[in-house]
Amino acid sequence: MKTSAFHVLRVGLAITFMWIGILIIANPVAWGSYIQPWAQDLLPGSLRSAMLVTGMLDISIGIFLVFNAYTWVAALFAVLHILVVFTTSGINSGTVRDIGLLAASMAIAMHAWPDRFKFWEKKKKYGSSIPDDSSAF
Amino acid sequence: MTFYALLFALASIGVSITAYLINTRAKQEQPVCVIGKDCHVVLESKYNSVLGIHNEVFGLIYFTIIALLCSFIVIGIGNLQWWTMIITIFVSSAAVLSLGLIILQWKIIKSWCFWCVMSALVIFCMEIAVLTHAFILHV
Repeated sequence: MKTSAFHVLRVGLAITFMWIGILIIANPVAWGSYIQPWAQDLLPGSLRSAMLVTGMLDISIGIFLVFNAYTWVAALFAVLHILVVFTTSGINSGTVRDIGLLAASMAIAMHAWPDRFKFWEKKKKYGSSIPDDSSAF
Repeated sequence: MTFYALLFALASIGVSITAYLINTRAKQEQPVCVIGKDCHVVLESKYNSVLGIHNEVFGLIYFTIIALLCSFIVIGIGNLQWWTMIITIFVSSAAVLSLGLIILQWKIIKSWCFWCVMSALVIFCMEIAVLTHAFILHV
């Protein structure tokens, strides 16, 4: 991904997460109504408290993304968070939009992922060191 | 609500620009000049700070305050009318100051800094939003 494109995506996603977090904190019970009844039963506390924590998590993800600090961790949390939203809210009118947010979060996480944790690239290097038999012919 | 969402989004863009400039200065790196090559001329000029504090630090504080005030209004903390009035005064003052900084780059420094111009454009967009909001409220 081009660096400028990455930053445009990062700031755009940060704004979305922070604003959603603010809206959830402003009206937690209304946003909690999106959660399926079976998922509400699993909550350790009240629905309102759970949604307030969700709102604060969204704002935190947005702040880390906007400051470009621990971007890969923030993006990873964003991916996990959206997957939890998919699971607990089911398929509804907002699902298509969430797919876009999930893809954007994944793109940022993949781009900002630190080299020391790119285990698949180490494998690739190891793989390339094995002599290719076909070259003998 | 749409007005505050717009202001919040613009303030967040401003936060990301100023945070980038603070970060590059802290690391003693040259910022990437997307358009032109003279960013460092402006950022290292004698006009880059007031009372020893760099302009981008003031910018970060300003944009953060605007974003916080917008979130206070939406969440319902404090008096909505007071916050809106403070936002209007802040944005209008910043628009005048940004115009001054643009003229400074154009006439005195005679170089353009992409990030400074972007920051000024964000503030001008905020001012347009504030004026439009005030116009709609009074019609």
